[in-house]
Amino acid sequence: MAIFNLKKREIECKVVYYGPGRCGKTTNLEYIFSSYKKQVKGEMVSINTEGDRTLFFDFLPMGLGQIRGCDVRVQLYTVPGQVKYSSTRKLVLRGVDGIVFVADSLEVRREKNMLSLKDLQANLKDYGKSIFKVPLVMQYNKRDLAEQGIPLMPIEQMERDLNRQLKVPAFEASAVVGTGVGNTLKECLKLTLQALQREFKWAK
Amino acid sequence: MDIKLRIKTVLNEAEIYRNQGLIAEAYDRYQNAVNLINSIEKLKNKDSLLKAIHEKILALNYTKEKVDKGPKTPELSKKAQDLIKNLFTFSENKDEDAAALEGAVTLAKFGQFDRALSDLNALLEKDSMRVDAAKNILRCYMASASVEDAVAQYKKWYTGDLFQPQQLETVRHYLEEILQKRGIEADLPSAITVEDTLDETLAVEDTVAEESEEEFLDITSIGITFERGARKGKMVELDVNFQSGNMLSLIIAKKDQDLLEGLDEGVKLKNVQFFSPIAIFNGVGTVVSKTQIKTGPKQGDYCLDIRISST
Repeated sequence: MAIFNLKKREIECKVVYYGPGRCGKTTNLEYIFSSYKKQVKGEMVSINTEGDRTLFFDFLPMGLGQIRGCDVRVQLYTVPGQVKYSSTRKLVLRGVDGIVFVADSLEVRREKNMLSLKDLQANLKDYGKSIFKVPLVMQYNKRDLAEQGIPLMPIEQMERDLNRQLKVPAFEASAVVGTGVGNTLKECLKLTLQALQREFKWAK
Repeated sequence: MDIKLRIKTVLNEAEIYRNQGLIAEAYDRYQNAVNLINSIEKLKNKDSLLKAIHEKILALNYTKEKVDKGPKTPELSKKAQDLIKNLFTFSENKDEDAAALEGAVTLAKFGQFDRALSDLNALLEKDSMRVDAAKNILRCYMASASVEDAVAQYKKWYTGDLFQPQQLETVRHYLEEILQKRGIEADLPSAITVEDTLDETLAVEDTVAEESEEEFLDITSIGITFERGARKGKMVELDVNFQSGNMLSLIIAKKDQDLLEGLDEGVKLKNVQFFSPIAIFNGVGTVVSKTQIKTGPKQGDYCLDIRISST
């Protein structure tokens, strides 16, 4: 839940990168950390990894400057994607204001994508939120692997699998080189801030 | 597609999946490659190729085992734990102890049991936090160690003197409910049993008191020497209207206001003469109650209860 300090005209919101294990959530944050230096307000913290697997979460604080007289701060998080870390995933999701669902474009990960989206829906429901109402952006990651001859799902198929009912903005991306990372984040922040504006009647 | 090209493609996929950390997918592709290689009888370097793939598979198995058997929630550095507390303790509780409790619970939720236990144990010293801290300590033990450890901790508290009986009973109920839900039976001594024992002791004492009641002589009247009020220094004799053991009830007419002035509740009467049909004795009494009669023929008069303390 966003923290809105009326007196100081400050707003702090939480955006979570969600998705199956090894889909590139941490890579998204790493790219943001290295490419948006001006907005990044501190170190990116990766709370423990096994090899390069996120066991807890990654955390990256950002400042978006003033928007209509309000200082806007954003906290970016990733969740651990592996199935066995469901309780941590749920804890990190608590109080979320906006979500980026990072889907793996690899054909072999089709089922994992769908299971993860279902898991997201269930966890949001437990917090009294609807996946249809929460600010959500879809990212189809690892598109660059097509060049290496790896079977990827066509975007149309991913849209059918994951976005047929949600109909949220979706972006092709390659987090490892940065393609689509910025656009995904910007769209998610736009939706999140619009939702907060509606909720708090802010900036009027 | 040419089979050699197929093998090359499959091995390329396997390698990329391995680099991506997709162990199961890489394993599947390597197995696929092995099957393809084995299907060709006269393949050049067949054995060395199979050996190389076998080594890749062994390495994958090792990684898989490491991931599977790795701790689900390893203990983090203090700095990381502080960050977790800071980021995931949502309540803006101004009370320091309550905030400390929330922080410890947050750590426990993230599997940081050692630090959580340390923080919770410190909170046991705070009376207002003790029960909640104890409940969460038990939860930590059950999550990180075993039910037996939780039960042992409860028993340790039971034998100690940190908890008040009612606090310990609340903790016992909490643990008992959790154990019942898990279908575990455990002998959890109740702190209230101690109180029951006390009650029994009191009951025995009551019986003794009842017995001693019977030993009290019937008092027909008492003589009170006033130490204050309008009758200071004078003795007044009053009839006893009812007696129950060492408790005497007297009625004093409302017109005798000067008497009533010196007989307020709690007043100790140091010089009282007790008159019985067979003897007169001196003793001490205490005014236990002074009640104005609301109804009946004695309406407006006062009923005075005096307990005989010693004779």
